[in-house]
Amino acid sequence: MPVLELIANGLVFSSIIVLGSVGLSLVYSIADFANFAHGDTMTVGAYSALVAFGFVGGVGGAVLGLPVGFFLALCVGIAAAALVAIVTEKLIYEPLDVGSLGLLITSIGIAFIYRGVIQMGFSADATRFGVPPLRPIEALVPYGVRITEHDVAIVITAIVLVVGLHVLLQYTDLGRKMRAMADNPELARVSGIRTDRIRLWTWVIGAGLAGAGGVFLGLFNNLSPRMGFNLLLLVFAAVILGGIGSVYGAMLGGFLIGMIRQLTPILSDLGSVLPLVPDTFGIPIGIEYAEAIVFLIMVAVLLVRPSGIAGEAS
Amino acid sequence: MTTSQDTGGYWSGLTVAERGVTAAIAAFVGLLFLGLLTGVLTPTYFLFLVGLSGMYALLSLGLNAQWGYTGLINFSVAAFFGVGAYGAALLSASGSPLAGGFDPIFGLLAALGMAVVLALVIGVPTLRLRADYLAIASLGLAEVVRIVVKNKQDWTNGTAGIRGIPGFFENWPVLSTFPDAMPGLQIHVPAGPVIELGAPFYGMLLNVALVFAFVGVSYAILARAHRSPWGRVLRTIRSDEDLARALGKNTYSFKMQAFVLGSLVMALAGVFYAHLNLYVQPGDLDPITTFYVWVAVILGGSGSTRGAVFGGVVVVTIRQGTRFLNEFAWLPVDVAPLRLLAIGVIIVLVMRFRPEGVLPPQKELIWPGSVDEAATTPDSAVNQSTRGDGDE
Repeated sequence: MPVLELIANGLVFSSIIVLGSVGLSLVYSIADFANFAHGDTMTVGAYSALVAFGFVGGVGGAVLGLPVGFFLALCVGIAAAALVAIVTEKLIYEPLDVGSLGLLITSIGIAFIYRGVIQMGFSADATRFGVPPLRPIEALVPYGVRITEHDVAIVITAIVLVVGLHVLLQYTDLGRKMRAMADNPELARVSGIRTDRIRLWTWVIGAGLAGAGGVFLGLFNNLSPRMGFNLLLLVFAAVILGGIGSVYGAMLGGFLIGMIRQLTPILSDLGSVLPLVPDTFGIPIGIEYAEAIVFLIMVAVLLVRPSGIAGEAS
Repeated sequence: MTTSQDTGGYWSGLTVAERGVTAAIAAFVGLLFLGLLTGVLTPTYFLFLVGLSGMYALLSLGLNAQWGYTGLINFSVAAFFGVGAYGAALLSASGSPLAGGFDPIFGLLAALGMAVVLALVIGVPTLRLRADYLAIASLGLAEVVRIVVKNKQDWTNGTAGIRGIPGFFENWPVLSTFPDAMPGLQIHVPAGPVIELGAPFYGMLLNVALVFAFVGVSYAILARAHRSPWGRVLRTIRSDEDLARALGKNTYSFKMQAFVLGSLVMALAGVFYAHLNLYVQPGDLDPITTFYVWVAVILGGSGSTRGAVFGGVVVVTIRQGTRFLNEFAWLPVDVAPLRLLAIGVIIVLVMRFRPEGVLPPQKELIWPGSVDEAATTPDSAVNQSTRGDGDE
């Protein structure tokens, strides 16, 4: 069992989940509802990038096996997801007066609208970015790891974005205000923070990260109108595991959930991986149950520690 | 309302929304009959639609008992529907990978039993959770059920699904031969097509009778339960759970009871679906079913039993009505995304402009007797005053 390969794949998949879960967690803590449209926001980003890539695909040289145009398209995807989220917030969420459960249900409607529009424009079939598939990186093949430069690009960009968010949250005025508002919105408002403006910025950052996650998901697998929705529960699992409202928890949760999802095949070969256990030992669970395992972990976490790993016990 | 009242008095006793709904239903029924007379709708398909509406009414009645009465935000409707369908199919179908070929009655009982077990399996861990966590957790557990049904080949036939499900009345003394025994009828519509009523029509008529029986029983039980002291506790839990607990109620236990009750009604819808469709497959457990039922309940009005029925009919209209758009070849749209879009827009519009739903519960929560007593003496005066308001 090529454990290293599974870990490498888990790392790539985790990067995508982290991008989704950090954004979801930000919005959860500041807009204060479980946004079921977050997965489809990822889809919006992916398809916007697909369209943009059609225009700028040929631009520039190549970085990590991807044309520079792809990174331009990535920026377009991020911007489009953020823009769509802001328009939705201004048009739909802000005028609503229905409480957090009403917002949750509304966000399901929003998710369907996003998905319906995308499906109208691009059909329900899967499609791909027009980048030629790469061979696995030669230097890593002897170790049993078969990942491409695209995968490396996904991980590196995700790290850059997450570190950027960390800097923003810790060292900028906006970040401090966001943290204050996540902690206590009332107190933040009476302290003179313009909370509606911070709320908008949160949507921009959260949806932008989701857009980036969607683009990478499209590069990792392929694009389909259901791609984001299919990932949504995994992203929720990551947010819950990390602790709702905690951005750093969401990073950790995203990493763990992505890893668990990709490492499931190890379960049936546990004996050969673990020391001190007979080689024939294993839990016979196929990869097809990987997501079921993740969801069960999510429910278990909710039961044992509803505040998550990094959340404060209330 | 006393029976001696004239229809005009009844009409003015309705709210604006109720009048609108009544008028819309009348127009819709008229449209359907027009479709029947012009041959756009065959009588068999018309009955199929009625059966499907009944099925969605059952699903939304079940969800309404959980969300509308008790405030449980259950996103695992599809799982209970699927368990009902698979429970019925596994026991009664000839193509069942387990012990098939039993009488559908046993399938019904097995489905209800499985629904209770599933309700406990999902409810015991999740019903203590906060509302939005409950939504996510129940959706996740419903997906676990779907993944298991899809991949547990030796139990469920996997993605191939189960065929060979008999009609519900196959072994009943008179009803089993009823469709063939009835005379074929031909109705000649003046200046229209010939409408034929044959064995498929009467078979479908039996299905409709079955779902009406299911809906009738469920409606009676749920409406009665809602008004009972038990239902009042549920309503208290919905509006303020801490208050209910402070009054000495074991809220967890009450929530579990409502959850099981609602799940049973949803499974009943699944049983009906298995015998209507005669084929079940894992796609029937897709989460989209859950969201359709949610649309039905919030559109109808959370907590309103008749609203749930109304919402169920609207959902069938959206699901089946969009199929007709396929006939207009010049429309440059694909129907599947249009349906998705319509559902999304309805959710957003209802939450924006009428979050309490089209038919919110009003008189339903009052014992009919108390309305009669209060209304006897000032009856005419009340009506006059409302008329007076209307004139101004």
